[in-house]
Amino acid sequence: MQLLLTVNGMQYEVEARPTARLLDVLRDQLGLIGTKEGCGEGECGACTVLVDGRAVNSCVMLAVQARGKDVLTVEGLAQDGELDVLQQKFVEYGAVQCGYCTPGMLMSAKALLMANPVPSEQDIRIALAGNLCRCTGYSAIVAAVKAASGHDATPAMVLPGEAEELAAEVSTDPETLAIVQEVVEAAEAELIQGTPPAPEAFPSPGAPAMPPGAPTAPADPEEGE
Amino acid sequence: MGVTDVVTPVRLEDLVAALAAATPQTRLLAGGTDLVRSIRTPGSEPDTIIDLTGLAEFAYVRLDGGTLRVGATTTFTALQWDPLVREHALCLGLAAAQVGSVQIRNAGTIGGNIANASPCADGATALTALGAEVTTIDGAGTARTRPLGEILLGPSRTSLAHDEAITEFSFPALGPEHRSAFAKIGSRTAVSVARLSAALVVRFDAAAGTLDDVRVSLGAVGGAAFRASRLEESLTRLPADEATAQLFAEGCVAAVQESIPGRYSLPYKQHAAVGLAYDAWNMLALSPPCEPAWA
Amino acid sequence: MTEDLQYVGGSYPVHDVAQKVTGELVYGSDFSLPGMLHAKLILSTVPHGMVKRIDASRAEALPGVVKVFSHENSPMDRFCRARIHPGQDLAEHDETLFSERVRFVGDRVAAVVATSRAAAEAAAALVEVEYEELPALLTVDEALASTDVLVHSTGNVAYESEIDKGERPDLGGAVIVSSSTSTPRVHHAALEPHVCIAQGHSTGGMTVWTTSQGVYAARTVIAELLDMEYHRVRVIKVPMGGSFGGKTEYIIEPVCAFLAHATRRPVKLLLDREECMIATMVRPATWTTIRTACTPEGVLLDFEAATTLDSGAYASSTPDYSIHMCKKVTKLYRVPHYQHQSRAVLTNTPVGGACRGWGAPEMAAATEIHMDRVAAALRLDPVELRLKNMVEPFDTDLVTGLPLGDARVRECLERGAVAFDWAARRARPAGRGRLRRGVGVAAGAHKNGMFGAFPEASNMSLKMNEDGTFELNASLHEVGCGIVTTMKVIVAEVLGVHPDRIAAGEADTATTPFDYGTYGSRVTYVVGECARVTAEKVKARLLEAAAELLKEPVVHLFTRDGAVHVKNDAERAVAYRDIARLSEMRHVPSIAASTTYYAVSNPASYSVQFAEVEVDCATGLVAVNDFLAVADVGRAINRGMVEAQYQGAVQMGIGYALYEHLDVDEQGRSGIDGFKNYHIVNAPDMPDIQVLLVEHEGDDGPFGAKSVGEIATVPTAGAVVNAVNNALGTELSDLPLVPERIIAALHAPEEVPACSSC
Ligand SMILES: Cc1cc2nc3c(=O)[nH]c(=O)nc-3n(C[C@H](O)[C@H](O)[C@H](O)COP(=O)(O)OP(=O)(O)OC[C@H]3O[C@@H](n4cnc5c(N)ncnc54)[C@H](O)[C@@H]3O)c2cc1C
Ligand code: FES
Ligand code: FES
Repeated sequence: MQLLLTVNGMQYEVEARPTARLLDVLRDQLGLIGTKEGCGEGECGACTVLVDGRAVNSCVMLAVQARGKDVLTVEGLAQDGELDVLQQKFVEYGAVQCGYCTPGMLMSAKALLMANPVPSEQDIRIALAGNLCRCTGYSAIVAAVKAASGHDATPAMVLPGEAEELAAEVSTDPETLAIVQEVVEAAEAELIQGTPPAPEAFPSPGAPAMPPGAPTAPADPEEGE
Repeated sequence: MGVTDVVTPVRLEDLVAALAAATPQTRLLAGGTDLVRSIRTPGSEPDTIIDLTGLAEFAYVRLDGGTLRVGATTTFTALQWDPLVREHALCLGLAAAQVGSVQIRNAGTIGGNIANASPCADGATALTALGAEVTTIDGAGTARTRPLGEILLGPSRTSLAHDEAITEFSFPALGPEHRSAFAKIGSRTAVSVARLSAALVVRFDAAAGTLDDVRVSLGAVGGAAFRASRLEESLTRLPADEATAQLFAEGCVAAVQESIPGRYSLPYKQHAAVGLAYDAWNMLALSPPCEPAWA
Repeated sequence: MTEDLQYVGGSYPVHDVAQKVTGELVYGSDFSLPGMLHAKLILSTVPHGMVKRIDASRAEALPGVVKVFSHENSPMDRFCRARIHPGQDLAEHDETLFSERVRFVGDRVAAVVATSRAAAEAAAALVEVEYEELPALLTVDEALASTDVLVHSTGNVAYESEIDKGERPDLGGAVIVSSSTSTPRVHHAALEPHVCIAQGHSTGGMTVWTTSQGVYAARTVIAELLDMEYHRVRVIKVPMGGSFGGKTEYIIEPVCAFLAHATRRPVKLLLDREECMIATMVRPATWTTIRTACTPEGVLLDFEAATTLDSGAYASSTPDYSIHMCKKVTKLYRVPHYQHQSRAVLTNTPVGGACRGWGAPEMAAATEIHMDRVAAALRLDPVELRLKNMVEPFDTDLVTGLPLGDARVRECLERGAVAFDWAARRARPAGRGRLRRGVGVAAGAHKNGMFGAFPEASNMSLKMNEDGTFELNASLHEVGCGIVTTMKVIVAEVLGVHPDRIAAGEADTATTPFDYGTYGSRVTYVVGECARVTAEKVKARLLEAAAELLKEPVVHLFTRDGAVHVKNDAERAVAYRDIARLSEMRHVPSIAASTTYYAVSNPASYSVQFAEVEVDCATGLVAVNDFLAVADVGRAINRGMVEAQYQGAVQMGIGYALYEHLDVDEQGRSGIDGFKNYHIVNAPDMPDIQVLLVEHEGDDGPFGAKSVGEIATVPTAGAVVNAVNNALGTELSDLPLVPERIIAALHAPEEVPACSSC
């Protein structure tokens, strides 16, 4: 059947089976693979999207139920290449490991902050109760949501990002640069003449077989796994 | 793979028309939190899905004289935060707040909860204590109202005809002298189907310091939520004190024992019923918080 | 050197975090290829029987269905799902792609291949399978007692071993304590279901995209089974949503590869949650009895244990798993004599295999519950008892004969006890009311790779690019625990350049050098050291090049902040990008190195954990209120990730202690078939886990680092169970402590029930 859906502010017209779940249409037809399927039964929250601002499990909702509503998926969080504050905090607080729960977590957290901009820790944990994570123990996720809501009790876990660090990177002073340039020119002239460079060439990749001198262990044939 | 038809009525007349065309393979769709999984099993595809999402007029909570009316497609989230529910049917709001996760509460409806007829349905436990009646409409356009107990026949069994939809739940609104509570034991703090649930409604006569209009319903024991009427009578006109709390707990245990004799889960549930009873009692806030006396 | 670490010890997100938070990362389950077919498995519905008849005609008549494969039209060569390399010992080839004789509910009977997932699912429901049922052995007791019914013709005991080390001293006057502990069969519950994509090429070769923990092992299993030359099978690791050991064995990969080979088309095999739970693998259930003798002061004299492990229907890695349960105690405690019998028993139940900790959480639960009994018998504080017996740094493991390395488990216990305020909390009464509090402690030990068994090694190369950035070429298998980042940080530290200037990809048998993969707690310790050594070589090349360019001897130079600096001359430095830019022809080609690194040791990693619980005596529900995990990590390469790994591991251990179990009923079926009734701990029930790191540098890992991911979950369940027993004054030792068991222990200890769901 023909469906008209609004997803992340875009209108889509899709042809779907009447029993297609919202999840299937998002992933298979719109290519929005950020929304994940972890259980298909409403229990894990990996498929969480917002429908008219409310978090729902797109695996227990038919696509037809979203007709005429605004659907927001994880792909719709960042605006003009700028991460949503929640996404930023998830990065900074180390709230992501395998990341399979992350899109659903972000969407549940988004719905929470839209309704309750300054939630308590308990509010956060209840809001995320329907989102299972097997990797993190939730501590970092809860901290990230707190930080996104303006609490800044815990310091960010992650070091400043690339930009700041790299700015600190040393650059060559002009004088040294000039000397280096000279040396290189002389050396490369030699190379062009066919004189091989002094240091040994790049050793061939590919592992040698066990070299004779490789350390061996006390015999215990059962240690392996 | 049969091809399923979806109809989305937006007015009551459309619903009646859709119901008129319904067959035993037709399914009503509200939030979908139960239905979507069940129709995905190959071989259980419905011929037609009547999607109730369009019927905005079915989602409401209204006070109508002394009667509270709850539309069938009202979500648990709506019930959880509704001021009328808080004031006149607190146990229903508390039950709604404990259903599943935020996601499930946002989609799941009270109508679906009842029609799905799970013995663990939290809504059923609360509505049973509230003495709810269920109004339905069928393919002929006939509206009928009957007690909830007549709808719920057992696990996954209802007396709803295939061309019949629930439109409303109604029950006497609880007054200012009423208190109500809902407690549930699952296997986690949140997002857990009830292994035992209880709703408790009492009227507190402040002058006499005693209880009347006592209503106790238990869920997740036996086929459907039920009223523990003997227990209700035994508590009537007792003082709202710790001794009564204990009688209440003992009565819950007895009701559990009677309702699932010999069942595998009985040894656990009969003990857990004590905790459940005290949880519910303490929520009434009629006596200082108390707990079972342990030998 | 440690005082001066610039990148090691910082906190970094997983390398692909940006793609993960935006949803753009293509996981295995998201992966698709043009013309891709979809496969759906048909699983046995009986625990033991012969497939008498398969009628696929109705299924094959459905539009979109390509073919139905079963034992009737597929190779019946046997394979071992747990085979890591071709010459492996203890690799029981007992499984076929599809079974004619089915051995558990969930055994693979057939697969439908169709043009869409929906068509494959619909067709699968139409395949008719008729079984002739055989008597089923659903418990280890039944299997051990049975002489006529055998799960495999080789007998129901898949493996038996006994370890007997040291000398039993005179036990006169010794205090003897016995205990028995059982641990449940559990589901790994990685959030992404199992998935594999394979493409058969018309040239006869194939490409496989896998979300597994070892591409070379996957290739071994696939190539051997399909009788293909290894170089024709390319296996590529793709992003995955968790594993925890559940994707270390090759279960769906051979099936998917065969389907692709047979159809010469790309085929995707994606399981659903129930299939993951029953038809892949589980952490095996175990039963361990322990009998110890100790002096009245609490010094262990003798430790005897016996373990029975439920292998399930195929041996898989369970023989090795059972052996490993015998190698945990002596890493942790000094005992003059240690004896341990273990056996792995085949039953008609879901297949057991690798799971985070590889026998260590099972054995730690048994040991640490036992140690609390000993403490109670002697009226000693549990911390005090453990301190009397713990190993010291540089002890030798009595069982394996391997040095334990800089074993800081005592320090973990001592510092943890202070940080947790153990003595005061332990002294506080549990209370007599409805809610009772208790505290518990447990310790655990695990390993660092496979040194001691065979040449544990890794292999990689690293080069500088023409703009001064770097590329590491290694067979990395990211499972979500930040391995790629770890390698980058190690290389960054050596080279003195920000980790973001280093690219590192994942494993691909066609392009990345041999490595076993992510398991055995080997990655940081062995693969990480390989990265460090490789980076040192590249650094040497960089310095040589810079020496020439700067006209300074190498000894006058050092690297930092992406540049080579001249010592004592703050002004003079040449940035890597300038070395690269200016000497593109002269030096860039040679600023590269490759290394085969052979591990030289296998020390123990340790963790000591402290739990505080509150038990509701009315409902039997347990809340973990507070938790401290102390970690002997050697050195945290990525501090934030070490803490995060611990937090997640403790969550898994709490589930193991309190909720998770996958039992089968009398029909051999698992009543538990989804997250609806298989509860993993969710956010409201998780305390904030405190993590305390004990750092030092006495071992051979990079910068002193040792393994983290597995050891982190080893002591958790023991600590939680001990805390519950402390709260209630009980001696519960059958995991998990579901409410039924707690209520039964409080009211009718003689009839503690088996687990069941609502
Ligand atoms: C993860 C998870 C957790 C859950 N936790 C709980 C819990 O804690 N407590 C609890 O009680 N339930 C729980 N449930 C069950 C479920 O959410 C509820 O039963 C819900 O109320 C169903 O409502 P729905 O609107 O989603 O119904 P649907 O799924 O749309 O329909 C359910 C059934 O009712 C029928 N139906 C729907 N509306 C009507 C109507 N107006 N008239 C007649 N028939 C109708 C449908 O045809 C269908 O048979 C949980 C479910 C999930 C997936
Ligand atoms: S996939 Fe929807 S809740 Fe798990
Ligand atoms: S990060 Fe892996 S499931 Fe949450």
